[in-house]
Formats: sequence, structure tokens, C-alpha cells
Amino acid sequence: MSRPGFVLEVDDRTPPLIVHEGLGFRLENFPLGTRVVYPPESLPAVPDVDETIREALLNPVDSDPLPTQLFAGMKLTIAFDDLSLPLPTMRPPDIRGRIIEHVLTMAAEAGVDDVELIAANALHRRMTAAELKHIVGERVFRSFYPQGKLYNFDAEDRDNLSHLGTTEKGEDIEISKRAAESDLLVYVNVNLVAMDGGHKSVGIGLASYKSLRHHHNAKTMVHSRSFMDHKHSAMHHSAWRMGRVIKDTVKVFQIETTLNNDIFPKPYEFLQKREWEWSVKDQASMLAVRRGLSVAPQKMRHKLFHDMRSVYGLTGVNAGEVEAVHERTLQKVHQQHCVEVQGQSDVLVMGIPYVGPYNVNSSLNPILATCMGLGYYFNSYRGQPVVRKGGAVILYHPLNEGFNQLHHPSYVDFYEEVLAESTDPAVVGEKYEQQFAQDPWYRHLYRTSHAYHGVHPFYMWYWSAHAMDHVDDVIWVGADRRVAARLGFRAASTLQDALEMASGTVGRSPSITYLHNPPHLLADVR
Amino acid sequence: MADQLDNQHVLLTGVTGFVGEALLQLMLAEVPGVRVTVLVRPKGSTTGTARTASLLKKPIFADIVEAAGGVEALMAARVAVLEGDLSDTPALPTDLDAIVHCAGDVSFDPPVDEGFRTNVQGTRELLARVREAGNDIHYVHISTAYVAGRRRGSIPEGPVPQVVDLEAELRWGLGQREEIEHRSRGSEVLTAERKRAEKEHSRAGLLTAANATEEARKQWVKDELVRVGTERARSLGWTDCYTFTKALGERVVEEHAQTNRVSIVRPSIIESALEKPYPGWIEGFKMMEPLILAYGRGELPDMPGAPDTTVDVVPVDHVVAAIVAVLAHPPEVGTPEYYHVSSGDRNPLTFSNLYQSVRGYFDEHPFHAGDRGATRLPEWRFPGSQSVERLLSTSERAFKVADFVIGHAPRSDRARDLARKLDQQGRRLEFLRRYMGLYQEYAQAELRYSDKNTLALYRSLSPEDQETFAFDTAVVDWKVYLQDIHCPAVTAPIRRLDEVRAARRKPQATAAKGLVEKPGVAAFFDMDGTLLSSNVIETYLWLRLRELSGTERFSELSRMAAKVPSLVAAERRERSAFLRSVYREYDGARLADLDAIADEYLTDHVLARLSPSAVRRIREHRAAGHQTVLITGAVRPLTRPLMPLFDHIEAAELATDDRGVCTGYLASSPLVGESRAAWMESYAAEHGIDLKASFGYADSHSDLPLLAAVGNPVAVRPDVPLFRHARKSRWTIVDWSSSTASTRTLNPAGGR
Repeated sequence: MSRPGFVLEVDDRTPPLIVHEGLGFRLENFPLGTRVVYPPESLPAVPDVDETIREALLNPVDSDPLPTQLFAGMKLTIAFDDLSLPLPTMRPPDIRGRIIEHVLTMAAEAGVDDVELIAANALHRRMTAAELKHIVGERVFRSFYPQGKLYNFDAEDRDNLSHLGTTEKGEDIEISKRAAESDLLVYVNVNLVAMDGGHKSVGIGLASYKSLRHHHNAKTMVHSRSFMDHKHSAMHHSAWRMGRVIKDTVKVFQIETTLNNDIFPKPYEFLQKREWEWSVKDQASMLAVRRGLSVAPQKMRHKLFHDMRSVYGLTGVNAGEVEAVHERTLQKVHQQHCVEVQGQSDVLVMGIPYVGPYNVNSSLNPILATCMGLGYYFNSYRGQPVVRKGGAVILYHPLNEGFNQLHHPSYVDFYEEVLAESTDPAVVGEKYEQQFAQDPWYRHLYRTSHAYHGVHPFYMWYWSAHAMDHVDDVIWVGADRRVAARLGFRAASTLQDALEMASGTVGRSPSITYLHNPPHLLADVR
Repeated sequence: MADQLDNQHVLLTGVTGFVGEALLQLMLAEVPGVRVTVLVRPKGSTTGTARTASLLKKPIFADIVEAAGGVEALMAARVAVLEGDLSDTPALPTDLDAIVHCAGDVSFDPPVDEGFRTNVQGTRELLARVREAGNDIHYVHISTAYVAGRRRGSIPEGPVPQVVDLEAELRWGLGQREEIEHRSRGSEVLTAERKRAEKEHSRAGLLTAANATEEARKQWVKDELVRVGTERARSLGWTDCYTFTKALGERVVEEHAQTNRVSIVRPSIIESALEKPYPGWIEGFKMMEPLILAYGRGELPDMPGAPDTTVDVVPVDHVVAAIVAVLAHPPEVGTPEYYHVSSGDRNPLTFSNLYQSVRGYFDEHPFHAGDRGATRLPEWRFPGSQSVERLLSTSERAFKVADFVIGHAPRSDRARDLARKLDQQGRRLEFLRRYMGLYQEYAQAELRYSDKNTLALYRSLSPEDQETFAFDTAVVDWKVYLQDIHCPAVTAPIRRLDEVRAARRKPQATAAKGLVEKPGVAAFFDMDGTLLSSNVIETYLWLRLRELSGTERFSELSRMAAKVPSLVAAERRERSAFLRSVYREYDGARLADLDAIADEYLTDHVLARLSPSAVRRIREHRAAGHQTVLITGAVRPLTRPLMPLFDHIEAAELATDDRGVCTGYLASSPLVGESRAAWMESYAAEHGIDLKASFGYADSHSDLPLLAAVGNPVAVRPDVPLFRHARKSRWTIVDWSSSTASTRTLNPAGGR
């Protein structure tokens, strides 16, 4: 049986603790009394994956069994989450591929022959053929890709979008035309963290900029507290409003999956163990990895980390009506991620790992690193933020990976031109978002190459808006000073220096909380 | 003395020079009764009168002009202007009482023909005019003490003993330009220069090399004219062409002296004023200043002279005061008087004293090299000319080796930085070589100029005159003169310049000029190396390796690796030959396949290597309404990902046979070097583009014609030869780095 998450208070006997920092990690001695939040250990996986999938499809929640909804001559569309989930990438076979195979088998039995598979990548980059193949599996890829029936969603293809109307608050809903016109839309998701899934799947994954701009903006994000808690997230409220409109026009069969926390495969297992429980073997691998990383050139470290494939265990599959399914999914997610934390602290410490949703097979540029820290990790709370209003956030990342010109061309310009002028999410959005969103060159790259949409860096910045609004001080440990300054933050060489620098904001003996993340956790702050 | 000169009419030549200006000032200020006519050469569209007027507007004339009620009034009353040139001297006024001839070529290494023309021929023509103008005109000739040449010991104030055939030398000297111009067109000179130029510029094209050859020939003529002059002078016992022709000029004057009143004034090294018009007054740089400044900048490691050698310096006010005194005391016809205005005999300034004083000055008031504090001053040990020469020639050899290495180094920031430093070093060496060569003679001259005659003249003056027209050089305290008067005056303009420079603060290297919206403007971009970090060999391998299996790939890679040296050699020689030999490798490939591979794989390859700054710049041009044009030697399919950025793409087309298989040839000659410039011109004519207002971006020396064709050339991460050219031509240099660490698309299925 897995042990629940817990909060450690650092005392004399606490060993140095792992802190991730990009393509590497360090062992940090935290000040006495620091609270360290550990996620629960991995939940046990289901014994038979195929059986679980079949069970979910045949006995869906608040919905007819999938086979009864399939009939010959129908138009069936299967949409699925793109490579931003799960993190890190799953060792093959990917769970989405396995589910898609089951769905396709049932469709074939029912005599359905008009099937299309769409990657719900919204404004994310187009995936390469190899990446698509990885998600859907070799067999599905071979049967659909060459015929053009397996493809990435194109949010700039005006002819293949359809406007489904507006919500009661006047928000446009514009999604994939094929999906909207299908007799049944099956959505296969991976619900890695609490923000995923639900109405976010179709309403965001298959939507265009026209639709996304209503909730992906600084104002909404400041009021998403947090976006890991859909009931208190303005972004999710908007997505839910849209989802309910979509539900009236499009028949959606939602399949959500939940995974356990088995992120680090051999020989990196020590990274998800509690430091004082390391065996001799764990300590040996830790030393070996550390030594190797310290001498390896950046390119090799990048390869070492990005070649890592996780051996997640499946903890559950739920299928059927979107909201009912999502309720059950969240239960499982919370069970895996939630840790109860008593009260807020003055300082929040987080280590940014090498990968986020937007740099799979790419580099974690400074904007993405900021989004990982102040966006995803900061928002990994329920109730109230881990750090008090006006507190300080200390992040670990060298911010030295640069930009991937193929995947993130608009990020470079955002960094060089927009951030040079202002780092206020509301200001930059007001002034530059339209320009980037409509830029023909970015649009061209998004549609034909493997580039994120021109507006995407703005979203990253909005993601961090709530944190920037909430805390007074953000300090990066071990970061390139010039880069940190451009982002509007400060850099320190050690944790001690960072605390010294933060003392103006939080005093000389602040309370500190360190989120020992990854593996993923969700702090339930009471 | 003023009385003696009262109502006299004196003609001055060379008033626009240092001594002439001081003389004019002194005469206007202290000899109120004298009328002056100045012989001034019109310069360009400026008449001699206008030049004189602007001369009189200088601060040292301010009091005189004010007293006379303005420049025009002063000129009407006392300063007449005779427009004319010494090479074609006009008729002189007939009421002249005296002439002071201080015009002359003052540089030590003039081209030989110019030295003869001004110092010998010019003097002879002037004297002919003097004889026309009257029988009793006192002619004062300003010569130099150094006409003594390489003689040693005490030099009396008398004629220079010489046996030179004046007429023969004059004919020879005047004929040298034609002679040398003639020789420079011979095959010996031209072949060597052309080979050198082609070695350096062949990548840019033969026309560029031809231009460089012609430039080199002109330079050769210039150098050769100086060289033969110096050689001839030394072969006859003079230090250089200047003193040689000056001595011959004295011979001309002595002939004239047989029937006329003549005085010859021979100052030594004339430096800034001791007292008048104000202490430290100096115009332009004379003999010592470049050395003083170089020393202050820490660039003069030592001096090839003995510490006890006398440096014979006189303040300019002493020189002009002596000239006025000479004017007032005309000699008898047939017995020319000689006056040395010098200090070495009675108040010698030794080299070591000079060094101590200058060093003392800079110790107190150092130059500040940028923001790095005071410059470090070299310690002179006077090791003798031999070891200085050794040091210099060793440095020059080292420089040559380093220059060769850096010229062949692969491009990098480090290479560019080294090239910049090396060029600076090279300029210093050149400076040292030039000045050491010139001054070595003077620094070793063990001679003393007796100034008995001048002293006697000075002693004969009334005490008042002695005060007004002071020229007893024994009164100069050298330490005070150098440290408090001369050095501050000489360094002042440099310090001002340094301040301006510091205030300006170097703008960021990448800050290319902002773009102005304007129709008829185009921006021309080179691709490989400028827009993206890639080259034709790399893209070839990317294209071909896709089709091959593992072992075939390996053999193909090894085959290409073996070819690399010859390809590099071809690249250095001629860009188009290089491209042709790479494209030869495409023989047998199906064009359609290449297109498909390019579309599927190379798009990512190209886009991942694009420099973000380059893309931003292209987009800025488009936003400003400029046309954007890509010119590349790469094959057409590779440019496809960049199509949306450009209005026109000029790329290489692979020729195919009727089955669509590449023949390994190109459909037309690759567009490189000069053909780019030619293509740009025709493109510009066709599309109504103003090339002068257009922009060019390129990275290598072979793109020189592309950059030279536009008004706004920008060198992007240039190779060393282009870097040097760009710096020399003050082109913008930018650093558009593209991400070298671009992540290859990883296999999401993982390695294991």
C-alpha cells in the first residue's frame, strides 16, 4: 500500500534534499524548520489495463455504452491529448494508443468506416509523424496516417473551423469543424494533473484563438485560484460555460485516464524516494548521476534527460458524460497528488525540472521556465496559495537553455522585444497580443512547421500572472543574471543569498516551504 | 627696429604654414610701420584673399584685427594679397623692400619630385621674379639647420660644402614621377601585385581583385617616389630627401646672392611658442609631437638614439623674432649672411633630458586609456639602434606570421577579436617603423649648430628690442618648456577628443540603424552563414544521407570527409568552383526525391538553424515596406521554408535530364561574388530600387561585391577578411547568432 504525502519539518537529522534545476539537480541544506511537502507515493496500478479500458467503455458514467452509440455510416472522430501530456513522456505503449485501439475495434465491429483521428493540440506545435506514432501506436498510425485520417488540429485553418455560438457571457466557441460535425466525438485524455480534462479537453484542445482568448488572458488567470482547482478557476469556469454549449451541439464521449506517480525509471528511481530512505544502491546511483552530469556537456545532459521515458502505472479509466467522468477522475488525481499543508508560509521554494508541457523534445527556455515555476508549480494548491500574499518565491533553474528556434520562434521575439519593454502580463497583453496572434510569419510556421502559435508565449506569461500578482519577490537560484533581469526577476547564487535578498520582503527569519516536486503534488492548504 | 622697418614693404610666402603665420602675427603686432604682401595659393574654389581673411580670423590675430577695426580694414591697410602659386610664380610688386620665403615642403619624406619642385624649382622661379621686380630687394631664405646633412661636429653658419651637380639632380628629381609611373605599369610590378590581390580577393571575384591591384599599384608609386628620394639623398650624404632638396635650394639662393642682398635663416626643430603669441601656441603636428603622443599612449617602447645626443629644438617665437631682426639688418650684396636659429650649442637638450621631462609630464598628467585608468609608460633604456631595430623586425616577423594564421582561421568571435587586436598592433608597428626610419638619423646626429652670428645679431639690438624680439635660445629652461608649455599644448586636442569619445560611449554592436519607411528600398540577404548556421556540404549530406542505409551512410560520410581539404581549398580560391564541385555530388539524384526530402526533413533543419535576429530584421524590413531579397548559392528546395519572408529568392537550380535525374551540373552559373552585384543592379533597375538607399547583409569575404553594391552594408558575424574590410570601411557589424544547440527532434519512443 502506498504511503500518503506528508510535510517534513527540517531538523538536525534531515539530510540534504534533492532540488531539481533544469538539466540537473542539487542537494540543498534547508534552514532548520523549513517545511518540505512530499507527494504521496505511487498508487497501485490496475492489474489488467485492457480489461479496465473495456470495462469503462462498456459501462460508462451517465452515458450509453460506447458500442450502442456506434453505427454503420456514422461520422466518428477520435480526438486525443497531444505530447504535452504526460510528463515525462510515457514509455510505449502509450495509454491513449491502447484506448484508441479498443475504440476502433468497437467501431469496426459496428461497421463504422468514416473515422478521423485528431490530435487536440490547439495552439501547441504540430507533432511530428514519429511523435504521433508514439501516441497512437504503430498499428493505428500505419492505418490512418498515410491516408491523412490521423493529423494535427490546425487552429488557423479557417475552412475547417466551425463557430458553435457564444456563451451567456458572450464568449465565442469555435472548434474543429470535423469534430463539431461528427455524429460522435470520442475524446481520449491523460489526466496527469487536476487542471487537465473535463470541458478543457474539447473546449480548449480543439479550439481556435478566437475561442481561447476569452479565458487565456491576464485578467482571467489572476482570478484562477488556482487553475489546478476547476471550481475556483475563472479559466475553467469559462471552459465549463463553453463545454455546456458544445454539449448541446456535439455528442462527446469523454474517456479520461489517471496515472500514478511513477515518473523516474531506473536508474533515476532515487529521485522519487525520500532522501533519508535511500539505500546504498540509491546513493551510489545518485553519486554516479551527479558526477556524470557535472562533466557532461549541455547537449549530452539534454539528451540524457529528454530520452527518459516514464513507466507510469494506470490507476483508472473513466468514460462517459464529461462532467460526471471528470468528477471521478479528479477524485483519483487528488488521491495521488493531494498533501495537506497547514497554513501559508512567507517563502515558497521550488525546483524547476528539465521538462514542462511545452518543451517535450525541445529546450526549456526562460519563459517556459517561468511558466513552470510561477504557473504550474505555484498553482499546485487548493484553498489558498502555499505562500502568503506579499511573500517571496525562490526558484531553482539556470535559465541558460536558450530558445529552440524551430519550436519557439515567437518566444524569442517576445523575450527580445516585449519583455524588454514590460514584464507586466496585463500591459504586454494589451499592447502586443494581437500583433503576435495575427502575425503571418508565425502563423505560417505554426501551420507548416513545428512552431507554437505566435500568441503562445503570452499565454505562458498569463499563466504566471496570478503568482506575480500574489508575491512581492521572485528570486532564481543559480540563474543567469541577465536573463533573470530581463524576466523582471533577480538571481542569487545560493539559497542563503536568496533568503538574504528576500529579507527585505519577508524579514530575517521567514517561514519557508519547499515543494518537493516532481513527482507531482497538489498542496491542500488549510 | 620698428623704425628701421618703418614704411617698408615686405612680401611673405608660406603664411598659411606654422612659421609664416607666426611671422605675420609678429610683424603685424610689433612692427606697425611695415606693409605686408602675402603670396597665397588659391585652394580649390577658395581664393587666396579668402584664405588670408580666414587666417586673420584666428584667435592669435584677434587683438590686431580689433585695433584695425575688422579683418577687411586690416587687409586694406596693411595686408595685400598676391594670388599665386610657387610652381608658377606671378609677377611681384615693384616697390618691395624685402622678401621672406618660408614656403616649402615640410614633410621629411616627400615624394622626390615634389621635394625638388617646391624646394629647388620653386625657389629658383621665385628668385627670377625677385630679380624682375627690382635690384635692391633683401631676400630672406628660410632653410633648415639640417641641410648640414650627415656631417658631424660643430657646424658653422656658412654655405654647405657640396659638389653635387645641381642641374643634373634637378632634372633627375623632376623626372622621377613619370619614370616611376612608367615602371609601375611594367609586368614585374603588376604581376606581383595582381597575384597578391587575387590570392586575397579571388573569392569576391576578379574585378574586385583588379581594383585591389590598381590600388596597390598607386600605393607602390607613392612609396617608390619616397624611397628613391631617400636613397639618392643618403648616397650624397644627406639624411633624407627633405634636407637634400633644402640644401640644393640654398645653392640656388647662393647663386642669386652674388648680385643681390640675401640672408639665409636656418632654424633647427621648430616647436611651440615660448611666450608669443602665447606660451604653447602651436599649429598642427610638427616633428616631435607624434612621438610624444605615442609615448604618452604607451606605444613607443624605446628609441634608437644615444641618451647624450642633442635634440636641437627652438620655440617658434624665437625663430620669427630672429627673422624680423634679420629683415631689419640687410647684408651687403654678394656676401650672404647665414643665421642658425638653434639651441644645441649653448643650451643643449639631450635625449635623456627630453625623455625625463616628457615622462615626468605624463607621470603627472597621464592619458586615460578608455575606462581602464592611466596608461602604462614604457621605460626607455636607450639600448642603441641595433637592438631597437632587432626588436622591431622581430615584432614585424611575428606580426606577419600571426596575420597569416588569423587570415586562415575559421570564423569565430575569438578570431575576429584577435584580428582586431592584430590590426591595432600592425598599425603601431607601421607607425614605429615609419618614425624610427625617419628620426633615427636625427636621434643619432652628433652635430652642434654654432649660432655665433645669430647671437651677435641679438646682442646688437637695443634692450627694448631684445625684449620684444627675444631669440636668445639660451634662456629656455627645457624642463619648464617641455612640462609646462609644450606637452600640455600638444596633448590638449587629444584629451578633448578622448573626452568626446568617452561621452559618446560605444553604441551596442548589434544596434543596426533603425529602419525608415521608404518605397524603392530593398534588403538583400545572403543565406548560409548569415541567416542560418549551415553550409552547402552539410545540407548536401542531410539530403543524401536520408536515402542511404547505415553502412552506405558511413562510406558516404568518409568519402565526403576525405574531400573536405580539397573543398576548403576550392572555397578559398573561388566560391563558384567550390559550389560546382559540391553540386557535382548531386549527380544521379532524382530532383523530385530531393524536393520531397527537402520538404519533409530539411524544413526543420533550416528553420531550427535560423537566427532569430536575422528573421526579426527581415520582418522589420518588410514592415517598413522594403522589398526583401534572398540571394544564395544553395539549391532552390532549401529556400522553400523561407519563402514567406522574401519577395524574391534567387537560388541555384540543379540541372536535370529528361527523366528528372540531376546531372550534377547547375542550370546556370551560381550567383556568387561579383555576379551577385551585377544581378542586384539589374534587379534594382527592373524593380525601381535605389541601391544607395538599400541594405545588404552577408557574412563572408566572397560577398564583398554584394555589400559594396548597396548604401547600407551590414557584415553579419563576418569572417576575418570581411571583418577587416568592414572595419576599415566603417560598415555596420552585427552578431546574429543562431542556436548551435538546436535540439534534433528526438525519437519520442525513447532510446531503450
